[in-house]
Amino acid sequence: MIRERLENICFNKHRSARVATAARKVIFASCTVVSFMLTGCNSDEASGAVVLRVSNWEEYIDEGDWDETIELEDGTEICGENSIITDFENWYYETYGKKVKVEYSTFGTNEELYNQITIGDVYDLVCPSDYMMEKLLREGKLVPYSESFFDASGDNNYYAKGVSPYIDSVFKGLSVNGEDLSGYAAGYMWGTMGVVYNPEEISKEDASHWDVILNKDYYRRITVKDSVRDTYFAALGIEYYDEITADDFKNSPDYRQKLSKVLNRTDEASVKRAEDILSKAKDNVYSFETDSGKADMVTGKVVANIQWSGDAVYTLDQAEEDGVELCYVMPEEGTNLWFDGWVMLKEGLEQDPDKQQAAEAFVNYMSRPDNAIRNMYYIGYTSVISGGESDLIYQYINYCYAADTDEAEEPEDIEGIEAAADGHPDDTDDEDTEPGSDETLSEEENGNAGEETVVYSGIGYFFEADTDEADEKYSVITTPDQLERQLYAQYPSKSIVDHAVVMECFDEEANERINRAWTNVRCFDINKLFVWK
Amino acid sequence: MKNFHLDRRQLSVPYLIYLVLFVVMPLLVVLYYGFTDDDGNISFTNFIVFFTNSKTMGTLVYSLAIAVIVTVICLLLAYPVAYILAKGKYARKHSFLMIFVLPMWINFTLRITALKEILTMLEGNLAYHPFLNTVICMVYDFLPFMIMPLFNALTKLDSSIIEAGYDLGATFPQVLKSIILPLTVPGIISGITMVFLPAMTNYVVLDMVYNSTYIMGSLIGSYFSSYDWNNGSIISAILLMFIGFFAIFTERILNRGEKEEQRI
Repeated sequence: MIRERLENICFNKHRSARVATAARKVIFASCTVVSFMLTGCNSDEASGAVVLRVSNWEEYIDEGDWDETIELEDGTEICGENSIITDFENWYYETYGKKVKVEYSTFGTNEELYNQITIGDVYDLVCPSDYMMEKLLREGKLVPYSESFFDASGDNNYYAKGVSPYIDSVFKGLSVNGEDLSGYAAGYMWGTMGVVYNPEEISKEDASHWDVILNKDYYRRITVKDSVRDTYFAALGIEYYDEITADDFKNSPDYRQKLSKVLNRTDEASVKRAEDILSKAKDNVYSFETDSGKADMVTGKVVANIQWSGDAVYTLDQAEEDGVELCYVMPEEGTNLWFDGWVMLKEGLEQDPDKQQAAEAFVNYMSRPDNAIRNMYYIGYTSVISGGESDLIYQYINYCYAADTDEAEEPEDIEGIEAAADGHPDDTDDEDTEPGSDETLSEEENGNAGEETVVYSGIGYFFEADTDEADEKYSVITTPDQLERQLYAQYPSKSIVDHAVVMECFDEEANERINRAWTNVRCFDINKLFVWK
Repeated sequence: MKNFHLDRRQLSVPYLIYLVLFVVMPLLVVLYYGFTDDDGNISFTNFIVFFTNSKTMGTLVYSLAIAVIVTVICLLLAYPVAYILAKGKYARKHSFLMIFVLPMWINFTLRITALKEILTMLEGNLAYHPFLNTVICMVYDFLPFMIMPLFNALTKLDSSIIEAGYDLGATFPQVLKSIILPLTVPGIISGITMVFLPAMTNYVVLDMVYNSTYIMGSLIGSYFSSYDWNNGSIISAILLMFIGFFAIFTERILNRGEKEEQRI
């Protein structure tokens, strides 16, 4: 068995002419052999079960052991007793009559995952972010999903049946060297990047632009992610603020494509200016943090914190428990739309149809609406699943965010509010819609409940491709604060996602340029010792 | 079986295996990456780039500055403490020593988290003085590593030599300068080794006190996370050379000291 593994590692991979790769493999093959001898043999393969090696972000899946149950409107009860992985193994056996054993491991950053794959760790199914999927595809490391996976008529094809048409369309717009990413990737979670802020300390107006990180009024009171790509994106947002907020630009018919081009610029001049901006930011912000930002927001050490939407939801929840009310806002000029998805790796699957079936079944199981809810509830991020025929996801949104009105007993009240929503015939598809405006929202005093409620109706795009009617169908009656808080963070309205762009996978040269700029920002320049400006 | 004798050489086998697997092999991997380019060809460009780039040299200077300051402060703080503990007339010297070394038992990230709160209270905002905070936290973190070897060296120091000095009419400063300090040089050097290099590379402390300027450790990390194994490795290799030079240098001093002792 040891020999078999050695052969897998040393010889079965693509014959690469690169000496480096070969040397790398020999070195790590010997390491693997050693670790193999130390850990002993694994008997799962012997017992006939398919072994599925999955690698996912840390704390990015339901691990079970809940102490409460979600009760949805239609009586569905959702509760994670076991970890979702155990549930998958059981479900797979019941459904396909085959045993599967999931070897689950985690990674902390996309780069860490990539390094693991490069040094010889073998996985079958991994969950990197958009640009890393593109990078893996570009390097020919991915296996496409089978055609039957995308067949929405299949009973167990929960992904094809349930994926949000909006996310699907974003996927279809991405391709690498002429290959569409959509054939190789199935979405898992998605979101935006924005600013968590403390409304008592900083105005929404100030927080809703990227240049908040340069704002001297908040000297040393704002934290930024310690991540090259995210900070670079923010720097571009500051650099091209005038260009992308000009009326001509915003009103142009291909606004989104143009915005995506601008916020993905990597030419030397752009990178140089971004470096200057980030150098200034470094002297103005509280820190470049990897994980401490959430806690520092809650304790009040900082007043604003650039976050991914899922982490923002978590931060807002935590702060609420401590009695602090925080808000979330996505910068008006344009923000980053990101998603993480499942891709299958060639090196792991090795054209084994059983493995591929298990991998696809894993993705489908995660995409079943009730399971998507389990994961969302557990980790706070937003699933790419909108449910398709099933309206569980919409019920879940209501479960989380609907205002405490007695809807069931007061049907006419609902109608009244819907009528109010009708009174604002906003076409959210309209490209002319001013980004950031709250046109899709209408307010209505609710006399009965005594609590002020509003209708949040801009999220139809997520559920149905035809947004005109969907907006009404999928409106949420909620409390006004939710428009700036968790609901808005988790399900941003159409007007927000209209100026959110996916950050592409840059080519090697551009990456090197940006990384060098980042090192320059972070390193002490020896010339400062000799040249006094 | 008759021919088998368990002599001292065989006792070293377990460590030898450990050494080859976990020290020598990784070092060879680091050296391999350090002196090759992207395509696996032998190259010295990484090496040259390190010494010609103003930012990497700046990082080296910045790390050295932190390390020197931290080491000096640790030495100045630890020496009197170690002296009092070792030479004072206490019944329970070792219990007192334990109290000083005890913080080492608590994970350093925990200790620094606590220290951060204190510093925030004192300074109002941690981010105003990143360099100062880094130094404070590192001194706090590394102080026990300085006290231990100094304490050992001072306990071993024969008190009768010091008394002889006083008997011959020397004042305390003279005794300190001509007797105590020279005879504790080995302790000072091992204390410095324990503090200096970790202070150059321990970027976790910097991250925790929000110092956004890279030191050597964080620079290596940043290269690895941008898939640049070659440049990351060369920095590790260069640090390794520093350790090598330092070891040779200290050995010379110690040898000289021993020879002098023999002369006495």
